[in-house]
Formats: sequence, structure tokens, C-alpha cells
Amino acid sequence: MVDVAVVGAGQTKYGNHPLGLKGMWAEAALAAFDSVDGDFSPTQIDEAFIGSIAFGGSQLGNTAALLTEHSAMDGVPVRRVENACASSGFAFRDAWMAIKSGQADVVVAGGIEKMNDLTPERKRFWLGVSGDTEWERLAGLTFPGTYALMARRHFHEYGSTHDDLVNISVKNHAHGALNPLAHIQKEVSFEKAAGGFMVADPLTLYDCCPTSDGASCVILAADHVVKKFTDTPVWVRGSGAASDRLALHDRPSITRLKATTEASKRAYQQSGFTQHNIDLAEVHDCFTIAELIATEDLGFAQRGEGGLFAREGRGRLNQGDVTINSSGGLKSKGHPLGATGTGQVVEVFKQLRSQVSNGRQVRDAETALTHNVGGSGATCAVHVFGRERE
Amino acid sequence: MTGGADVWKGYLLAWEDDFTLVQSPFTCEGIRVFGADSDHTTLAIAAMQHRLSIGPAIDLISLPDGVNEQIFNMATGVLVANDESYDGCEWDLMVGDDATVAMLKRNTDIELPLIDTHVEVDAEFHSALCNAWEKEMKEIHVSQGAYVSSAQYTEGAVARMTLSGQQFGDLVVWPPRQLNDEGQREDGRISLALRGVVSSWTKLSAAGAPSEFSLRAPLLGGITTVLLDLDDGPKGVFLMVDDEENDVSIGDSIDLVVRRIYAQEGMIRYGLRGRTV
Repeated sequence: MVDVAVVGAGQTKYGNHPLGLKGMWAEAALAAFDSVDGDFSPTQIDEAFIGSIAFGGSQLGNTAALLTEHSAMDGVPVRRVENACASSGFAFRDAWMAIKSGQADVVVAGGIEKMNDLTPERKRFWLGVSGDTEWERLAGLTFPGTYALMARRHFHEYGSTHDDLVNISVKNHAHGALNPLAHIQKEVSFEKAAGGFMVADPLTLYDCCPTSDGASCVILAADHVVKKFTDTPVWVRGSGAASDRLALHDRPSITRLKATTEASKRAYQQSGFTQHNIDLAEVHDCFTIAELIATEDLGFAQRGEGGLFAREGRGRLNQGDVTINSSGGLKSKGHPLGATGTGQVVEVFKQLRSQVSNGRQVRDAETALTHNVGGSGATCAVHVFGRERE
Repeated sequence: MTGGADVWKGYLLAWEDDFTLVQSPFTCEGIRVFGADSDHTTLAIAAMQHRLSIGPAIDLISLPDGVNEQIFNMATGVLVANDESYDGCEWDLMVGDDATVAMLKRNTDIELPLIDTHVEVDAEFHSALCNAWEKEMKEIHVSQGAYVSSAQYTEGAVARMTLSGQQFGDLVVWPPRQLNDEGQREDGRISLALRGVVSSWTKLSAAGAPSEFSLRAPLLGGITTVLLDLDDGPKGVFLMVDDEENDVSIGDSIDLVVRRIYAQEGMIRYGLRGRTV
């Protein structure tokens, strides 16, 4: 079966972006086109998959066609992919599958979200739009609330503490401070992060990702056309995806995400790698507790030892076995919901091609993983990448 | 004759064979007032739930204006009399000008007792909460983002207010789902005990709460949500009541009572909220 590689990737800066939907998408698409080493034209694109949740309600239908129209991809078969915050992780998987199936050679996967063009009251639109609305909403839950429930239970079962979460926040801000595309490019002290405004007890402001605008775009190619575009592709070595019950109360455990363990198991198996081979991982840290649990679910830490992993700084840039969120993660780089998954791929693409500056390059990076979660864990896409094809 | 006085579902209760009196425990400037998430409907439901708990069964009751007939019926299972069935009714429910309801057996001469117990609430706080509910009831107050329509709410209201669970063989499921993991329809329904143990909890600040609560959460200092392991098996998430201390811990026992959750499009959504036992 055909192998698939990433041959181009780009994104906007995340944060309060001055442009609207069409401008942001065009900026990300151009960045991706320009990143291709060889000659590339959008006319070579066979298919496109664009992830987003809702654009704040401003363009609910036919959004993907609107975006391709404004990025020189007019006429390309395109559709919007929606799986909450994992939308573009799944768009990437769909693009990979389109090539794997033999139906396409060059495919675009991307994502976009415009979150900050709303009034303060309207901005509440984004709180908890992807949970089990009928039951969780009437219990007052938004995503800060659901992840707070997970955090408190993890503390109870395993003895992890809020200080462990603070360490994750401090680490990701330290990484993001070096990333010119990050929403929040500044370091945060342990003391400041520990004393943040309480959002959903025990999670403070410094445990929560910001509300970001952003777009990201990735170009995938079949092995027989890769050479046209680059001599240093990033190969997609494994793709895994899974889903789980939407509501926390319908899951046997809330201190692990079954969708992550299942998706990563499949991606590892397909890639031939284990967690011990991964040099860097872009992990879905919409809340710090999400990264703590992900380090366990992805196998970087033993079950119940995610807090210890964070405390010992084992995910810090070039300081442990694996660098977790070299980009700053959702916490610092930002979380423009639909754009996050392919935004993670943009970071991995640059890291594995040794194109990262500002002292943020992961040394000797050969393999990488992206982990993109929808909502509180109902959907998850995990991808494993390598510099080598086999 | 049997009877007594008690605290029931967070309310003051007095009862004998031919009446049940339920009052809010709160007063404001000498008048008995509702707590933050109560109204005549929630008091009426509590009164009927007590009467049903001591038996005998009641099939029909007349309700006054001010009590939501549909919610009362869904929460208690008792039919509400209409013009045709009114004469056959043995029980009437009356509401006071204050936060009081009384269930009275028809054609009996009853002198209701006076309940002295009360907790005085701050007048400014009480007024602010009443104003918030009033605004919330207006059509112009709409939620942002995810939204539970009145039809969707009504479809699940009985299961929501009575913990009506589904049986799939020996397995009990709540909230209800269309098919179980084997693709089968439910074998029947079972009412689960309105009690559980805290598995986890959080208190959301006004900034972290859904927009449906944006008018009241700032006044209340946030809203508290618990994940419960229900005594009969399933799990569920519930708000705690707004008018009592909510310092919960994992392992605490929680009773579930019917209260107002929020209002939208002029319709109050009622549901179960937790109270520490």
C-alpha cells in the first residue's frame, strides 16, 4: 500500500488575529504552499479536508468551499470535518486515508477557528459546545468543569496535586515563549501560575488554554509523487483514531481517556514504534490535567505517575526522554479549536526537518507524535511521524 | 392519627393524615421567601413526594395557578385534575402568597400548624436573585453556544427528575440511551434511589459557567457540580442546590431534590440538584 508523507505545512500566528476567516485561511495555506521545497501549485491538489467547529456561528454551512475559493484551491473537492477540538486531527487522518486508498496523490488537510470576534457575552458560545449537552449543560458543566472533575478525581486516586499541574503550565509557557507563532509568548513563574484566578476548582486560569484565532494547513503526498516536492519529507508512520462515550458520567473511569489509549495503540502498532522511540510529542493540553493524563495514556508515564512525570520535568525541551509540547502546546501556543490538530503537525514537520529556531529545536529529533482530542475525550486522533520512510 | 414535623428535601414539613404543609425555610423582612432555586412547583413536588412516601397512593390532585402541572406530573407521576375530573379529586393543593404550599384532603376541616423555624436572608441578595430569575424568564435572554431546546428538555424530563433508569437484563442504565452496547432496546424501567456518593466535584466561577447561568452565578459566587456514583449503579452529574452550604468532598453522601435549574425562552427547566446528607 502507498506510503504517505507531509511535504508542506504552515500556519498563522495564533491569538487575536486581525484577519477574518478567509484571510486567516489564505495566510495559512500560503505558508504551507511556500514551505514546499520544490515546485508546487495548488492545481496539483486532488482533495481537501478542513477542520473547524463553528466559526462562532458566522458561517455554519459550506464553510470549506468558501475557504478553498479564497486560497487558490477553487474546484478542489473539499469538505468540513467536525470532531470538536479534534476536527483537524481527523481532517489529517481523512487526508491520509484518501491517499492510502489510492484515490488521491496530493491532499490538503487543515483547520481554522475564529474565536475572538465576538462580544464578551457572545464569546461564551465557545464554553462547552462539545459535551453531552442535554445532560452536562443542565448540570452547569463547561469544559473547564469537566476537566476539573477529572483533575480532582486524579488527585484522589493517585495522589497527584495541583502543583503538578502548575509544573506543566510553567513548562509549556517556557516553550511557547520561544515560539514566535504562539498566542502567549511569555514565561510564567511557578508562584504566579499556582496563584491564578480560580476558573473551575481546582483549575485556575493558568491551567486553561487561551481562546485563540488561528488557521493551519498541511500538504500530504503519496510516495510516488513526494520527490517532486522535497527530498526531506516527514513520513506518516502511523495513524490511529478512536471514540468514547461523550459524557463523563457514561465512562467507567474519568482519570484516563479510552479514546487516547486506543488511538495511540493503533498508531504505535502501525508505525512499528513504541512510546520509547518518540523524541517529541505535541499533546492536547487544553487544560493542564489533560496533558498529565495524556502522558499516562500515551505511555510516557506509568498509570498514576503523570504527576511525578511533570514534577520531575521529564517533558521539558531536551531534558528528558521525550519533549512534550515544544511549541508551547495549547496552553501557550494557543487553541483555535479546529486548527489545533494540523497545527500540531506543522510543529512536528518543522522539528523533524530541523527548521526550528530560537533554541526551541529538539535535538536529534527522528520521530514525533501528535495527539488531538475532541471535547473531554469523546474523540481522539494520534499520528506518529518519522524522518525515515521505514 | 399519624403525623409529624421534619425537614424534607431541604424544606420545612408538617403533616398529618389529611394535610401536608411544606414551606421554604427562608424569610426576608418577616415574609417567607423562596430559596435561590425554589418556587411553588418545587415545594408542591416535595409535598407530594412526601405524601407518596408514607402512602397510601394518590392518583389525582387539583393544582392551583402557579404550579407547573406538566412538571408536577412528570416529577411525581400523579395526574393533575382537569375540569372533568375535578369533582373526583380527593386532594387539593393550595399555594400561599409566600413560599408555602399545602396539600389538603378535600372536605375536611383543617387548621394548618404554624412553623416558626426560619433563616433570615439578606434583602438585597434576595432581591437581586429574584430580578435575575425575572430577566432569565424573558425571551430575550438566550444562551450562547450549546443549547437544550424545550422539546429536547421535555423528552428527557421524567428521567431527569425521577431517575427513571432502564433495565437491560441485570444492567441498569441512566441517563436513558436508545440502544445498549449489544444493540438491544430496554427491557423496562426502574426508579432509582435519589441518592449517591460524590465521585468528584468542582465549583465553577461565574466566568467558567455556561451562559444560562450568567445572571445568577455572579450573585451566588459560582455554581457547584458533582459527579455522583448513584446508589443503584449508574453515574450522573448534578448541580448542588444554590441555597445551602456546598462544601462537598469525595465520598460524601448526597440526596437529590427537584429544583429550578435555569429558565430559557420563558420556560423553567427543572431537574435534580444535590444536597449533602
